[in-house]
Amino acid sequence: MPGAASDSGGGGSAGAGALVPLSSETKQSPVYPLRHSVGPPVSPRVSVCWARGSSLRVSIFQQQSPSCGEGDVGGEVVEVKLSGGDGEISDAQWRRIAYGSMSPFAMLQSRRNSVSTLSRISPSPYHVDWWEFVMEYSKDINALLGSPRSTPASVIEDPKTVLKKSEKPTSLKAAWELMELFYADKLSQAWLPERLIDWLADYDSLFSGSCATVHSKLVDFQNELINIQVIEDNPRYWEVIGSALAVGWLEIVVKLLHLHGSYQLDQLSSRETESGLVEAVAVLISRMPRMRLELGDGRLGECYKAKPDFIKAWEKWRAQITKMDCSAYWIQCNHLQTREGLKNLLQIMLGNTNSLSSATYHWLELYVSHFLYVRPFTVGLESMHGLAQKCIQLKPVPRSQKLMGLLLGILGENTEVVLAECSKQFGPWMVAHAIELMTAGSDEAESLLCEEHYNLGELSIQELHRLVYAQVLSSHAFTWQIAPVYLTSCMKQGMGLLEILLCKQPVQHNELLHKNLEICRLYELDSVSSHIMKIAGVHHWKHGRKGAGVFWLQQARDEFRLHKIAQQLFASVGKSISDESFKQWEGLIELLGSESKTAGGLEFLHKYRDFKRSLKHIHDGKSIEAAQQAVESLMLLMKNPSTPQRFWLPLLYDSLKLINWQDRPVLNVTQTNLLLNRLQELSIARLRPDFVEADLPSQALSAVRLALATNLGRAILEE
Amino acid sequence: MEKSLLKLDKGTTCTSWNYSGDRLASGSVDGTLAVFDLRHPASSSFACTSRTKVDEGSIVKIVWVPPEYGDAVACVCEDGTFSLWEELTEDSLPVQWKLCERFKSSSAKVLDVQFGVSPSSLKMVVASSNGYVKVYELTNPMELKNWQLQAEFQNVIDLVSPSSKTLCLSASISWNPLRGEGQGSSFVLGFSSDSPQLTSSKVWEFDRAHQRWLPVAEMALPDDRGDQVHGVAWAPNIGRPYEVIAVATEKGISIWHLSLNVEVDGRLSVEKVASLSGHEGEVWQMEWDMSGMTLATTASDGTVKLWQSNLKGSWQEQATFVPT
Repeated sequence: MPGAASDSGGGGSAGAGALVPLSSETKQSPVYPLRHSVGPPVSPRVSVCWARGSSLRVSIFQQQSPSCGEGDVGGEVVEVKLSGGDGEISDAQWRRIAYGSMSPFAMLQSRRNSVSTLSRISPSPYHVDWWEFVMEYSKDINALLGSPRSTPASVIEDPKTVLKKSEKPTSLKAAWELMELFYADKLSQAWLPERLIDWLADYDSLFSGSCATVHSKLVDFQNELINIQVIEDNPRYWEVIGSALAVGWLEIVVKLLHLHGSYQLDQLSSRETESGLVEAVAVLISRMPRMRLELGDGRLGECYKAKPDFIKAWEKWRAQITKMDCSAYWIQCNHLQTREGLKNLLQIMLGNTNSLSSATYHWLELYVSHFLYVRPFTVGLESMHGLAQKCIQLKPVPRSQKLMGLLLGILGENTEVVLAECSKQFGPWMVAHAIELMTAGSDEAESLLCEEHYNLGELSIQELHRLVYAQVLSSHAFTWQIAPVYLTSCMKQGMGLLEILLCKQPVQHNELLHKNLEICRLYELDSVSSHIMKIAGVHHWKHGRKGAGVFWLQQARDEFRLHKIAQQLFASVGKSISDESFKQWEGLIELLGSESKTAGGLEFLHKYRDFKRSLKHIHDGKSIEAAQQAVESLMLLMKNPSTPQRFWLPLLYDSLKLINWQDRPVLNVTQTNLLLNRLQELSIARLRPDFVEADLPSQALSAVRLALATNLGRAILEE
Repeated sequence: MEKSLLKLDKGTTCTSWNYSGDRLASGSVDGTLAVFDLRHPASSSFACTSRTKVDEGSIVKIVWVPPEYGDAVACVCEDGTFSLWEELTEDSLPVQWKLCERFKSSSAKVLDVQFGVSPSSLKMVVASSNGYVKVYELTNPMELKNWQLQAEFQNVIDLVSPSSKTLCLSASISWNPLRGEGQGSSFVLGFSSDSPQLTSSKVWEFDRAHQRWLPVAEMALPDDRGDQVHGVAWAPNIGRPYEVIAVATEKGISIWHLSLNVEVDGRLSVEKVASLSGHEGEVWQMEWDMSGMTLATTASDGTVKLWQSNLKGSWQEQATFVPT
């Protein structure tokens, strides 16, 4: 699955299939070994923790004993991805599929929303076309699962290449196409058997693994072909032709027939009858009537869209075969193998069940051969299902084959089985996406899948599987960003899970943090984003990045924490008011200053910063303007009730230069009086037990008092 | 399927992952707290970034403080004390783990500590061997030093208090993981003890109007009240109309639904929806996944098991992992 780190076999996908079983059958749950490198004795005490998404971390410890085992490793932590990978598709490929399927899925959801909005305004006409949207979606997804099957033929065709080599098909793609043709593609409903024949032609090779198939026989024969001298003498030649014909691979059959020795120029004259018979059969084969929408380029057969036309053509064709079967030329054919081989082909075309059965290997092959030659008019899932049952009885296959359960579920119109098979064989991605096809397929399926279940916490099956898939996506750093698309499509619980997912993202790295906040903004999750910013703010503050800390706490509008920070700053300011410490928090005050009202105490710090700055400007002791500005700042500070009392003396002590200004007094009488009053208040406050003495020279107070008194005298004289 | 993330130090007794799963704290028999970090955000390899001696005795449990209060852990030691440690950078010194507060009690051993976030503050529940529960509140969110004792009570639902000489061997606390605004804080607590009244798991909820903690539900059938509780786990709720709580007792694991509606007597109605059997031996740990749909458990049989409910609401074992 997407997000699976590595699948090293051992049972494949733990839980992937079993996530929420639909059947209630009680069976033994699977047991998986957890490999680790902890030396013996291993303690039975293991510890577990869920990481983001569906990965589980297990700590394994070494037993504590006096004679502890060797080595210096006392335990190990292993991670188990519960959405275990799939041997067929690599992790990178899965991620590509996960990314690629996101936008078709999102597109379909937005269409659903707009359609449902429209149908509320004016009902009816929009519902009709819904399956077309689903088809578009299905085609987009299908394109991701592998390249289109019909590989263009090479310019110079090797006459001895019967089977074209193409990309190995995946059963995932096969399953998707199966679901598409049965559920989504309304155009194919009337031609289901024909579509199934085409489907098998594309994917027959998938079944070769555990049993013989027409495909595998053809591959074997092709490999031998170069070494065979007289091809028509070889019984396998006739065997594979019969098999290919039985499953409807007409092009291959005709091509093989043309390899017949009688076509060779040097033999043409001596084997005229033989060659004529071969050609006659080849012509019959290439004229086989098919009831379907279209036949691709280079495909043999004749295509009929309307049933009456088809019936007429079919009957005519069958009559031709019967006539051919009774032809007098057979007696003149001396080559026994050719005669019997061709006769067998005629029997296949006439729908002789014994011939069909012996020409096919897998029940699906027998199944499509019945559609082709025995029951070309089969319609309806019920009869298709009945026929499938019969074919399985004749040709049982190992139960483990991946697509069998799915196909039988579809034919049996059992939504639950289809869902369970999708989940078991192909994992959460498949279920989450295929449900869109199933709901388009029938109203019954839709109501089953969209109905809310109390036992699931009022979830629908559809939503449940989206949540499960989103959780799989969440477990990998490369894919978690896709998860919100699926979560937001869940009406009931998606947002809840999205909030948890976002809150579990680490905040230390700015890039990730911004990405995270962007997602919050997109889905209007303000409380989550402020929670995340709070975590980031505290993290930075506590790790020495005070500025970043304050910034994020401000973004989070966390007034309580900012207030505490301001108090902390006061404390540090109160301790020493030297220029050294001023430099340290000047930047912070700058930051806090922009929204100083968020915390009352910060207002003071802001003013204090201004005061300190203006004091610096008057260092040369000449600029009267600067001095007056500093006085303004000082007065603002001393008047302001938010200025803590313990700063009064340090502030005044800092201002000694101002108060003792040489040229003329810069403080007027009123100002000086106010400062003297403050000094008086301070003297009274000092008597209280909780008074905190400022860290200043002992003569500071008297120095300030003297300076103020002197200034008062000068000011009175001035005025 | 499995992948090794890191190797633990010799003598490691317990581990704990932080909120985002990119830091692991481990405690060892010699009282060392080791912290492992991701080497860089996109990698999946961890390295030890600090080792701090937090106690003389063995650490038995590590609990992370919620991330909005810093990178900090509580270390519970074998001697029944616990201490809070925080990662800090101070005055251009390199980053280090510093002690915030050490909690000691002469009368009882601390068995479990868990943190819960209420809209206004950080709360810490401490369960001790004398059967008492203490709830502390952090007064300054920027410093993990100052804790105020908000309440102290016994895990009993009726007024008859158990004898004073109660001895509890283990305790398990699990906070309601929801963080929504305006939500009251609540947690579930169970003991393993010689006093049957104390043991059964009870849900405690903070009554803001009266500023006190009230027991609002009991997770035990009448016949099972005296069963020793080995673990409790409150599942995350992403939208269910009821809460789900897992309780492990000597009889096995049970799953409970807790109604969100208050009944006339102020209690919340509970329903036992499943009994999960499969583990051999005492259950040690239960952890819900982030959706609250899958429960992972460990037990003295050394295995890890996963449990899920099917559409019909029947809970089943989904997989077993056996360290080999």
